[in-house]
Amino acid sequence: MLSIQGLKASVAERDILHGLDLEVRAGEVHAIMGPNGSGKSTLAGVLAGRETYAVTAGKVTFEGEDLLALTPEKRAVRGVFLAFQYPVEIPGVGNMYFLRTAFNALRRARGEEELDAMDFLALARERMKLVKMDPSFANRSVNEGFSGGEKKRNEILQMAVLEPKLAILDEVDSGLDIDALRVVADGVNALRSPERAMIVVTHYQRLLDYIRPDHVHVMANGRIVTSGGPELALELEKRGYGWIEKEPPARPAAVEARP
Amino acid sequence: MTLAEQSFADQLEKGAAGVEWRPTGEPSFVCALRAAGRDTFLRTKLPTLKHEDWRYTSLAGLAAQHFGPAARALVPAADLPPAPRLVFVNGRFAPGATDLSGLPTGVRMGSLALALRERPAAVEPFMGQVATARDHAFGALNTGLFEDGALVELEDGVPCAVTLHLVFLTTASGALFAAHPRNLVVVGKGARATLVESYRGAGAYLVNAVTEMALGEGAQVEHDRVQEDGQQAFHLGLLQVSQGARSRFTGQSIALGGQLARVEARVLLGAEGAACDLHGLYVGGGKQVLDHLVYIDHASPRCVSREVFKGVLDGASRGVFAGRVHVREGAQKTDASQVNSNLLLSEDATVDTKPQLEILNDDVKCSHGGTVGQIREDQLFYLRSRGVSEALARAMLTWAFASDMVQRVGPEELRVRVRRAVTGRLANGELLREVA
Repeated sequence: MLSIQGLKASVAERDILHGLDLEVRAGEVHAIMGPNGSGKSTLAGVLAGRETYAVTAGKVTFEGEDLLALTPEKRAVRGVFLAFQYPVEIPGVGNMYFLRTAFNALRRARGEEELDAMDFLALARERMKLVKMDPSFANRSVNEGFSGGEKKRNEILQMAVLEPKLAILDEVDSGLDIDALRVVADGVNALRSPERAMIVVTHYQRLLDYIRPDHVHVMANGRIVTSGGPELALELEKRGYGWIEKEPPARPAAVEARP
Repeated sequence: MTLAEQSFADQLEKGAAGVEWRPTGEPSFVCALRAAGRDTFLRTKLPTLKHEDWRYTSLAGLAAQHFGPAARALVPAADLPPAPRLVFVNGRFAPGATDLSGLPTGVRMGSLALALRERPAAVEPFMGQVATARDHAFGALNTGLFEDGALVELEDGVPCAVTLHLVFLTTASGALFAAHPRNLVVVGKGARATLVESYRGAGAYLVNAVTEMALGEGAQVEHDRVQEDGQQAFHLGLLQVSQGARSRFTGQSIALGGQLARVEARVLLGAEGAACDLHGLYVGGGKQVLDHLVYIDHASPRCVSREVFKGVLDGASRGVFAGRVHVREGAQKTDASQVNSNLLLSEDATVDTKPQLEILNDDVKCSHGGTVGQIREDQLFYLRSRGVSEALARAMLTWAFASDMVQRVGPEELRVRVRRAVTGRLANGELLREVA
């Protein structure tokens, strides 16, 4: 589904990604772990099309198409979704209007019929249960005045409504207490499917107790330095990231990681 | 003298000689007001950039014009607001389009010129007493040249639940002309009213409107002023409000039309405990200049003033906001705040914003703030990452910035109209069909 080859990217003239390779197939959940500054969030941003990042080398194909050539909105139409580490507050734009606009923009671009406000509300209400979101949030402005946990739940709600093929969750656990983390993880798990792939970016192993990945990759200095199964996350939990940075294992081939 | 000054002066002199348009049989106090207006205008002339109140808005384009008296015109087929409504076309009363059905007892609405002939005593205590800005060239010009306008009167204690509409249509064809609508609104003690002034038109012309409003003790007024004049028009508006003790005035000024449009709101908080809450939205494009000057005179203790004005400026348009708060010596416990926020949508759009606080008293709470910003990239990306096109995302964020000012418009049918008019002026605003 997603193939990343030799990806290099910089932000404000500073190189962040130094040649990253990753293969993701439908149905797989990949965890990307790594210390702060290793380039995890940059990878997430590059995949979603954030313009502050400049891709300087490499290739990213999504279902055979050159992903990097597409605008952020076209990527969304193709089925790419980024759950933001820091969801943006948009005062004045109603949450439900925003969701419906996004939902119908995707439907329209895919040549599908749009839903009217009533039908959409029914769909959204049902999906809101998935993340235990209070219905009153529908009437508020996008993320405005939401707590950290509410913002993350709102991200998962959007994912549940937009039903992407590839969901990239950028530090979806940051700032969450254990209850909120469980709600978010339950929401994510409910959305796992054989047709959908997920890339879960996280600093902590804790999240992976709730969202069990098929593959774990460790990033350091802008590339994936080692890959393995869920047991790799446990080892990181025990030993920290220090050993990775000190004695980087021989360049592992993420492409070898197969279910 | 500029061309405009010369042509206005000519009209003023003709008026003084009682020829052409001059209504016959005006009461002597009106003659005196007109004479004073004429003298003031001839002395002050059109303001230049050297004038403190006109530092950011050049009248050179206006000064180069020659204005004739307003042409006679039929009522254009405009979608008029519901009754009760007074309609004026090119500054003249249009009885055919006026509909006063549903006017509650204790509320009068009609032609000011007619009232000056039939019952001048009702007008004399107020006219020219509220609009007292000294050496105000356009106020003076209006006083010298007005033909008609609205007189609205609410008796003491009348809670007027229906919205009162004043509509000023201007249709220009052929020679450039100026209309000088003159309105007087007298709200009795404890009375309540919602009043809408709508300015609409097409073509090139000047509207120079003055509205005087006197609020009695404890009166409550919501006033919506919606300016949708033609894109070639010059619009000058002076709203002068005088507030009695514990009265409440809520004002919205929506400025959309005109090549040059200036609205002045001057509020006198002249008695204890009066409060005013003023909002405004200007949405400019092309080479429009949209200017607001708000002057709040805190002349009494324990008065409250609130100002929130927002501007959305695209193309090479210019926004100007000057907010002056004057707290007089005796005005203890004054509470005044002012915010002016602007969204610039293009490289060539500009805004000049100037708060001015003159505080002659140390027992006050005064604040002012403002921003000039652009569409935020992180918000834009957030929307686009969900599949919203860049064009729609920009329109959504622009509307999000402006919409709370539109929501302030009280009467539902007017709010819907304003929402359509505002979104209609935004780039890709047609994509906002769900909110409009």
